[in-house]
Amino acid sequence: MQTKPDLSADVGEILLSEDEIQAKVAELGARISADYAGRSLTLVSVLKGSLPFMADLMRAITIPVRIDLMEVSSYGGTATESSGLVRILKDLSASIAGEDVLIVEDIIDTGLTLNYLIRYLRGKNPATLRICTLLDKPARRLVDIPVDYRGFTIPDQFVVGYGLDYGEIYRNLRFVGVLRREVYAGGAEG
Amino acid sequence: MTDTLRETAPPFAHASEAEMARILDFYGIVWEYEPHTFPILWNLEGDVVESFSPDFYLAELDLYLEMTTLRQKLVRKKNRKLRRLRELYPDVRIKLFYARDFRALMLKYGKLALADALTGTAGQAGLPEAPGATEPVDPALIAAVTVLDAEADRSATPTSPSRPTAARRRRRRRAAASVPATTTQPDRPGNA
Repeated sequence: MQTKPDLSADVGEILLSEDEIQAKVAELGARISADYAGRSLTLVSVLKGSLPFMADLMRAITIPVRIDLMEVSSYGGTATESSGLVRILKDLSASIAGEDVLIVEDIIDTGLTLNYLIRYLRGKNPATLRICTLLDKPARRLVDIPVDYRGFTIPDQFVVGYGLDYGEIYRNLRFVGVLRREVYAGGAEG
Repeated sequence: MTDTLRETAPPFAHASEAEMARILDFYGIVWEYEPHTFPILWNLEGDVVESFSPDFYLAELDLYLEMTTLRQKLVRKKNRKLRRLRELYPDVRIKLFYARDFRALMLKYGKLALADALTGTAGQAGLPEAPGATEPVDPALIAAVTVLDAEADRSATPTSPSRPTAARRRRRRRAAASVPATTTQPDRPGNA
């Protein structure tokens, strides 16, 4: 992995500070706790970008929760994408049949991945299936996704941090920022 | 075989369309390529003189998708067609995908280098990346289409005529010198 002395230097603008994120996570946690009061809830997080959000959100929820993790292959992430189909790289570890399930996403932009995931999870017969995303970038939406819990609606910019990556780095930034254009311009493939 | 697993892809007009088809296939979104043509302008005799064929129809989402990854100046013409389509067919859901959207999509998928190759005139039909396109397009034909599109673009805004720029005049001269007399615009009604 490439070593960078200061990841923050590659960020041109901080879109969401750590404090703003944490305040929103607490707000979402309180809403979810109230909405599911008296019930148990299964949080399903989608690797890898959702990990920080999932870790913070689950601790902001006060009702009993189970957690599970999934990983879905991304377009461009395989050598055979010209004929490839999305694949489940890591499936749920327990049944969700009859359970209240909340998908925890870091960001929704085109909605293609989430659309696939929703169809897949519906096939497992949960009692309810809802969506929670920290970031919503509607400008490039192809598939209309009914978002039940939305942290922030963000502009059409390429953002990194708090789980979001470019070329697998920047995930550990504690804020969400706009990556400087010169970092990715020039044709480098991540 | 489902639509998304087709072995013979349609002859895409632009390599970015072929890439979009691959993305849709990857995520299991059923698509059709230019299945419908919408008349958007008629003459006094009632004949259709202008129409619009969105690039993709995503049946499960009831959504049309139009790729506009050519040069920005040609986007104006497509925007006008899109406005007209929305006026005449308000129930039709259509999403315009600009070059910057496509570039951002490629960035997201770690294929930014591919974006430059697939956008603009460089990505027009005939690139090896476009499934279904087996023969490279004559560069003279691309030049002719570009000039004809630019002419159509100017004629669509008669209230604000502009003098040809030096660059435009040079392109016209080059196109006139290189295009065979028999070359005509491809028969793709309504597809800017």
